[in-house]
Amino acid sequence: MADKITLGYTHLSGCTGCTVALADNYAGLLTLLDRYVDLKYMPTLADVRHVQKVDVSFVEGSCCINDKLAVEELKETREKSTVVVALGGCACYGNITRFSRGGQQNQPQHEAYLPIGDIIKVDVYIPGCAPTPQMIRNVAVMAYLLLKGTKEQKELATAFLKPLMMAAQRGTTACFCELMTEVINQGLCMGCGSCASACPVNAITHEYGKPQGERDLCIKCGACYNQCPRSWFSFDVVENYEAINEAIMAALQ
Amino acid sequence: MSKVVEISPTTRHEGHSKLVLKVNDQGIIETGNWCSITPVRGVEKLAVGKTPEQVPKIASRVCGICPIAHNLAATEAMEASIKCEIPKDAKMLRHILQLANRLHSIALHDILILPDLYIPGTEVMINPFTAEEPVRTVAKRIQRLREIGQTVGQIAGGDCIHPRNTRVGGMYRNCSEQAKTKMYDLAKEGLVLAKAQMDFMIAVLRNYQARESVTVGGMKVALPKTLGYHNQGYLATDAFYGSSSLDECPTWDIDRFKEVRPWDWYMGEMEVSLEEPRYPVGGTTKLGTKVNPQMEACTGIPMYDGQPVEVGPRARLVTYKNYDEKGTVGQNIAREMEYTDSLYEMIDCIDALNPDGKVVADYIPDGDGSLGWASNEAPRGTDVHITRVKDWKVQYFSMLVPTTWNFATCSAALTGAPWQLAEVIMRGYDPCVSCATHMIVVDEDNKLVAQKLIQ
Amino acid sequence: MGAELGKYKACVSARSTDKEILKHAQDGGIVTSLLGYALDTGIIDGAIVAVNKEFAAKHQSLIMRDNTNWDMVEPWRPFPAVVSTKADLLAAAGTKYNISPNVSMIKEATRSFGLDKVGIVGTPCQMQAVRKLQLYPIGARDVGAAVALAVGIFCMENFPYQSILQLVEDHAAMKMESVKKMEIGKGKFWIYGKRGQVVQLPLKVTHKYEQPGCHVCLDYVANLGDISTGSVGSPDGWSTVFVRSKIGDSVWANAMAAGVFETQPIEKVKPGLELVTKLANEKITKNKNTLEARKTFGVGKALRSPYI
Ligand SMILES: Cc1cc2nc3c(=O)[nH]c(=O)nc-3n(C[C@H](O)[C@H](O)[C@H](O)COP(=O)(O)OP(=O)(O)OC[C@H]3O[C@@H](n4cnc5c(N)ncnc54)[C@H](O)[C@@H]3O)c2cc1C
Ligand code: SF4
Ligand code: SF4
Ligand code: SF4
Ligand SMILES: [Fe+2]
Repeated sequence: MADKITLGYTHLSGCTGCTVALADNYAGLLTLLDRYVDLKYMPTLADVRHVQKVDVSFVEGSCCINDKLAVEELKETREKSTVVVALGGCACYGNITRFSRGGQQNQPQHEAYLPIGDIIKVDVYIPGCAPTPQMIRNVAVMAYLLLKGTKEQKELATAFLKPLMMAAQRGTTACFCELMTEVINQGLCMGCGSCASACPVNAITHEYGKPQGERDLCIKCGACYNQCPRSWFSFDVVENYEAINEAIMAALQ
Repeated sequence: MSKVVEISPTTRHEGHSKLVLKVNDQGIIETGNWCSITPVRGVEKLAVGKTPEQVPKIASRVCGICPIAHNLAATEAMEASIKCEIPKDAKMLRHILQLANRLHSIALHDILILPDLYIPGTEVMINPFTAEEPVRTVAKRIQRLREIGQTVGQIAGGDCIHPRNTRVGGMYRNCSEQAKTKMYDLAKEGLVLAKAQMDFMIAVLRNYQARESVTVGGMKVALPKTLGYHNQGYLATDAFYGSSSLDECPTWDIDRFKEVRPWDWYMGEMEVSLEEPRYPVGGTTKLGTKVNPQMEACTGIPMYDGQPVEVGPRARLVTYKNYDEKGTVGQNIAREMEYTDSLYEMIDCIDALNPDGKVVADYIPDGDGSLGWASNEAPRGTDVHITRVKDWKVQYFSMLVPTTWNFATCSAALTGAPWQLAEVIMRGYDPCVSCATHMIVVDEDNKLVAQKLIQ
Repeated sequence: MGAELGKYKACVSARSTDKEILKHAQDGGIVTSLLGYALDTGIIDGAIVAVNKEFAAKHQSLIMRDNTNWDMVEPWRPFPAVVSTKADLLAAAGTKYNISPNVSMIKEATRSFGLDKVGIVGTPCQMQAVRKLQLYPIGARDVGAAVALAVGIFCMENFPYQSILQLVEDHAAMKMESVKKMEIGKGKFWIYGKRGQVVQLPLKVTHKYEQPGCHVCLDYVANLGDISTGSVGSPDGWSTVFVRSKIGDSVWANAMAAGVFETQPIEKVKPGLELVTKLANEKITKNKNTLEARKTFGVGKALRSPYI
């Protein structure tokens, strides 16, 4: 087997729920570390204190632009990583930090928070609050195949990651509003219910089969929008679901 | 002449914090300041004007390691303010969820402290991720315990990182009979593993305690018998769950609480005068760097009866079970003892759960602006949320989070230890720094807003 | 085998051997029998199906609705439910021609319902949703691996509830309450009354009532189900069945061995695969044209396409 990919984990203004999600691969986490991923930098789990040069960086949390340290760390992460993955609702879309407006002790000037894609170029999105262990696992395995795999494996990984790269290019806002503006208003919703089951705060119900969003509950995580099969859908990948699921499971055996 | 050394950022815990240590010629800490440098997202401030249904869901996202405590304390503070009693089975589901979170959290903490410890009978420090035995078996057991905790939490709470099932007035859904059976099976399996894991960890901790010296980054450091001792008091509001202002006999008293800003408590501007490149990994802060804990600290200093207190597993054991071991090792052992405790209690709660019982209150008032508070015993200590709800809008919201209580206490506990072991002491508190960085209860005149509001 | 029918390992015409199921089922009772067999044998420990209002009101712990006044809920509105007995499966049999967001229950099924092995029935788009959340589980933690059996049903289009109401009450001049069964087949929309009356509407009148989201749908025969089934291609009372995945293959083989179904070779029945292929092509071609037209819908402005 080829060498492992190197991984960094930069923690900005997130709640560490994304880190817990990574750890919630349970025994699978140990397998990932044994075979595919060399954890170079992740202060929450290991002792290395400063951003390192790596193949892939996960960034958790949005970035407080009033905190010099955070902005520097984010930029340094970009400079030192081949691939930057925005992990979780806060890094991708701001999530609850979209509601921040400063004025709290002991740093009342910490007021403005941005999804990292508004400050650096981001390659891959893993939205959700919390993101899921399986999504993190799938991206980690695919990143490994992309960087270290055979030609076919590279192709598979490219196809798999493409929608997540397009999500990163698309922009830094997604909440229930995008489900309205880009799916329902566009005449694309067919009432499958994915959005309601994806929502981590039970903000979505279905009335006469169609999503009803309680916008006073929505925390702007972007899970509904990205889980919706009518936001983006890749036949190339999904039609091969069986083979891909099997490949991922086999990789972790 | 004392020197100043800074460890920044500290590692193997949640969030961003640093240690600024004034040490003597022997490298023994004279004054230690442990402070949060996590940006302040301002959850208490952004909560104002939002609905009491949304705020607990946001509060959960203050921290992904103790989200359950925040979600429950916030929800129950709302319920206390609007004076809403919830059905018994909703309470049971919340208890189960909370204990499940404690189980996973203790196990996670094991991973975080193991690298400071030795495999008994050897000089090998433990890398929890190594594939070699005996560590791999332990790592798998830890992950299985976490899986059990998270899965039970997911069943009772809808999701386990940020719970989805809690709502003001109770829970969205009760569990099915089948789900109840599944939780039972998991808890029973967990009990066997937890017992083994607890024994293993206690043995490893005792082995550490018995050492004359330990190695940090190649440096041999004498291990004081009083590592992590302090003379602050303890605060816990329940052996397991918590309390609220709706209780007949609340176990927390808002009048005994006061908070000051770090300005009064932490050291002012200094310059780093001791640098140690061997300190793992990457060395301490460069010589000549200006540090200013007073200005940089992102939290306040809460006090109970005029002094910082310790909260957490040991505080619970001291308060409710006469536990009496001081110091860092005693603190870690107390946490290990909560493994089986939480599983026995969880099994009792599952027993008591009636899957056919209703889980939402019949009537959920809109609130008249009364002050309500609720405490929840998070894995790492008492988490008190205070709120006022009027006409289904939050008027005021404040979170007194465990690690905030512990910042000042732990700072006191650093005194007398070799500076190289400061992080070991800090990790004994299982710090959760993002959590801690979210409180405001003082106004411009440094008066307690909460107290003022009561009058 | 053309792409329009998706990948499959076998295709047969089949019917349940359970007379009771056939009495309540839409066509050959494939869905209800298959899920029932899977429940019996522990392949699944519960299934997400579409129940009617009467069942939902009586079994509120099996559905997810707050704040519903059941007296005001109209007849023939489906509700997704998690059922775990054959009796409840039977109560859910039959097609409801309006939207039942079955995937909305898929996460909860693994939470408060406590399922480890989830069965689900759904339209082709719902099968796409299930597969997307298995590969890209953005908001579906611990769900993908719990999906033990996904049964797809063929689908030309679906309708908003109000469309069905207008078709039945205006075009067919019947009360919703008195309808026993609805069916689309042989180029017509059929409405059967409880008292035995039968009304047929030409599909021409139904088209304007279709759910717009269906017009970009590129799947007719649930290509992504483990097993998929529909009436088209088989004689009355029989169903056409595609066995597609490894899971589907093994479940089908075991169910056959257990005598759950009787089958005929699809080549032997009328109208057979030819009609299925024709309809699949019609749907896909029409909807590809819609997607094309969306690109030039405005003046220099396109409507969005979800496909990448
Ligand atoms: C909107 C719609 C359009 C259809 N169009 C066609 C078509 O063009 N050609 C064709 O051959 N077949 C079509 N079908 C499928 C057909 O009507 C039967 O559902 C299918 O043949 C299964 O019959 P059965 O006897 O095996 O199932 P049964 O044993 O009767 O079970 C049917 C199952 O489907 C579930 N169900 C009912 N309504 C819905 C719904 N709205 N959404 C999701 N699940 C539901 C029920 O809960 C039940 O479990 C359509 C179905 C639907 C819902
Ligand atoms: S509706 Fe729910 S899933 Fe969608 S963005 Fe808001 S919180 Fe996230
Ligand atoms: S997930 Fe998308 S298509 Fe499905 S119901 Fe929600 S908005 Fe509609
Ligand atoms: S036509 Fe497609 S989009 Fe419409 S209900 Fe059927 S499968 Fe779903
Ligand atoms: Fe925390």
